[in-house]
Amino acid sequence: MSNQLTFDQVKAVLGGYGPVEQVRWNRIQVVTAVEKARDAVRSAFEDLTCERLVQMSVADLGTAFQLTYHLTGLHRTVISVRIEVPREDPKIPSVHDLLPPAGIYERQIHDLFGIDFPGHPNLARIILNEDWPAKEYPLRKDWKPVKGTFYGGIMEVK
Amino acid sequence: MNKRADMSLSERLATWARLKSPWITIFNSGACNACDIEIIATLTPRFDVERFGILAKGSPRHADILIVTGPVTRKQAPRLRRIYEQMPEPKYVIAMGACGGHGGVFQGLYHVMNAVDDVVPVDVFVAGCPPRPDEIINAVVETLRLLGEDADHGGKEWRKNLPVKPAGEEQKAEVSA
Repeated sequence: MSNQLTFDQVKAVLGGYGPVEQVRWNRIQVVTAVEKARDAVRSAFEDLTCERLVQMSVADLGTAFQLTYHLTGLHRTVISVRIEVPREDPKIPSVHDLLPPAGIYERQIHDLFGIDFPGHPNLARIILNEDWPAKEYPLRKDWKPVKGTFYGGIMEVK
Repeated sequence: MNKRADMSLSERLATWARLKSPWITIFNSGACNACDIEIIATLTPRFDVERFGILAKGSPRHADILIVTGPVTRKQAPRLRRIYEQMPEPKYVIAMGACGGHGGVFQGLYHVMNAVDDVVPVDVFVAGCPPRPDEIINAVVETLRLLGEDADHGGKEWRKNLPVKPAGEEQKAEVSA
């Protein structure tokens, strides 16, 4: 495909948000901060016509949560907007109003990692069962099931 | 002691019919579908269990034997319990595969109950990942042996007085603690 975005095109638009890097032949990554994240996604959406959200991924680095928005569009270049969310008070503005599919990823991430998304209309449980205890986030690296805690479901009485 | 002679004619007839033609229902409680494919292979012409009278039913209300596949996810546990409670007595449960027995590769994960035995009482376990269709047929035949024994003793109660406890009882107690 010849209509791929070039590195210089992306750098001209997203360069102001942080360092831009060509990580694969069709993937360009920009690392930004929590407070600039929403603007970076909006800029990629409006100025680079990245109107599709491929995925939102999170990795627990131990020191912070590495949150990545993978955006693409008809140009078929993947723009990764990468943010390190601090572990204490993990909070990042929702992009649900810009990209509606982000809402469901945000609910999953809130469920499994405990990252808060202010601005999300309904941050309810989606992956875990309804009777899962609050403040327990199973995909965090330091999470261990607490002995004696009931994590939902039904136990056969023996 | 054979209590089958004390049964009424209709009860004896029903027991005879159950032993000749058990109706089974299948429930996937979070399995990877390999077990379900093996069950389908059991039902389709190559093994064709209907020639033995084993009939797969869609509703648990019509079934005598419940075959459960998978390690029972926490979301599925109340549904499995409800399906088990819908079945008419006498009811028997077969836990299928490594997952149904003790969780398999999912053992200890945050979203599973670890075993079918933690949610509903299980009568027969089938080992394998996945078990072959002939092993499933063998499990159903084994269940029919239990059904016949229980009919002779007038219910399932007599099994509680058996001297040997089922294997894994101590381990189960530790998991649920």
